[in-house]
Amino acid sequence: MELTLFIIIGAVAIVAAAMMLISENAIYSALFLILNFACIAFFFLMLNAAFVAMVQIAVYAGAIMVLFLFVIMLLGAERVKPEAQPRFPWLTPMAIVLALIFLATTSVAIVKGEIDLTQPKVDEPMVRVVNAVDGVSAVDVYLDETQIADRVEFGAATSFEEWNTGRYEARVFRAGADPEADTPLAEYTVNLVPNAALSLTVVGTAQETEVVAVTEDLGQISDKDMLRIVAVNALHGRTAIDVVNDTDAGNKRVLIDNLPYGAASKVTEIEQATYNIGVYPTGNLRTRLLGMDGENLEAHTSVLWIFTEQYQTDNSYTVVTINLKTDTKPSFGSPTHVGQLLFSRYVLPFELVSLLLLVAMIGAIVLTHETLAPRRRFVRRLATLPTQVEQPVPGKTGD
Amino acid sequence: MEAPEVSIELYVLLSAILFIMGAMGVLLRRNAILIFMSVELMLNAANLALAAFARQWGNGDGHVMVFFVMTVAAAEVAVGLALIVAIFRTKKSIDIDDLHLFKG
Repeated sequence: MELTLFIIIGAVAIVAAAMMLISENAIYSALFLILNFACIAFFFLMLNAAFVAMVQIAVYAGAIMVLFLFVIMLLGAERVKPEAQPRFPWLTPMAIVLALIFLATTSVAIVKGEIDLTQPKVDEPMVRVVNAVDGVSAVDVYLDETQIADRVEFGAATSFEEWNTGRYEARVFRAGADPEADTPLAEYTVNLVPNAALSLTVVGTAQETEVVAVTEDLGQISDKDMLRIVAVNALHGRTAIDVVNDTDAGNKRVLIDNLPYGAASKVTEIEQATYNIGVYPTGNLRTRLLGMDGENLEAHTSVLWIFTEQYQTDNSYTVVTINLKTDTKPSFGSPTHVGQLLFSRYVLPFELVSLLLLVAMIGAIVLTHETLAPRRRFVRRLATLPTQVEQPVPGKTGD
Repeated sequence: MEAPEVSIELYVLLSAILFIMGAMGVLLRRNAILIFMSVELMLNAANLALAAFARQWGNGDGHVMVFFVMTVAAAEVAVGLALIVAIFRTKKSIDIDDLHLFKG
């Protein structure tokens, strides 16, 4: 099906290009070129480049071609005068021969060239640190010798950072500790694999600190109103918990089942909505340990819940939820995707291209300005006057 | 991403064919506006190859490149058509065979 469409549209594109080349009338050429651009926009759609396809239609087939047609009609230059003798008669066969050679070379390169086209892009793993440990105000975390978290407060998280793949020794210290001399609160061996988004969550108490590595999935979500949730049980009671959707009190649905202490749940996909989320000991839907009511969950995010406890001054513990939301990657070729690239990695080229457009605008004004052309002729005439040889050629029809 | 049905070779081949047609237009036609249109055709062929490779590697950089090429093409068309208008004013023709200033 896709191949059939490709062949049909490809044939239309080639025929339109050929007609553009052989039309005597420039207006027909422009219209055939618009047809060719529309075919290419269709190919962009087939290549998952939705944003580029829309820009192709709006900017290329729309704005630029309108400019062409406008200039053709303005100058009345639909056709050039037929000339009996072309000035370079050898050019036509030469161009055809060169074109055939080029086509043959590309074909051989495409068919025979041993280019590895199978390698998909692999994203570097990403790491962040979440502090959910009670009794330690802030923590520093080192991966091998490199510090990745500096003074992360309770309930806070660092942002995801790209890291090289490999095995690392993660060490957690109290904030400000000397990694050479002091003993770490906890140690953990991290294995970073490509495409992973790992949250190193520090849980427990100052006496018993643990690191839970939570793997989140930040990949694209194809369904348009789904999101992903992951939960970590860090409740000091060490009971296994259920995470339950309490929105409909009569019909409680368990989202995450039997999550033991110090473990991260699997990634679960749910629909976007406003939820009442309750946490219960496993199998006991009457003792609500904690709840998040009116929690608005938006699509295309990855939500990490860490259920933990915090020591209060009156010798009691309150149950706290640390709620971290990260946007998942936008789908390939979407306006969000291209926009994010433009405003992150390609800001400088974007600025330069904007500057280029500005220069082009000024250039167009200067080139077509009425008063600038006669002055140029005047200067040239002055330069040739003393010798009195001959009148300059370009000025003869300018009046 | 599931394996695409149309392989990248076909897209690159189509792109090469369109590019060659554009190049032939630049070499063979005498109407300056048509030469410009042929240049646009060549730019579009390059864009098609860029988008095909972008999908092949699942990398959005190709799309950004296409976007930049389109912007540069817009700038080029603005200046080029201004040049054609300026030439038409002095020569009353846009046949490039009439523009042989350097031969005297």
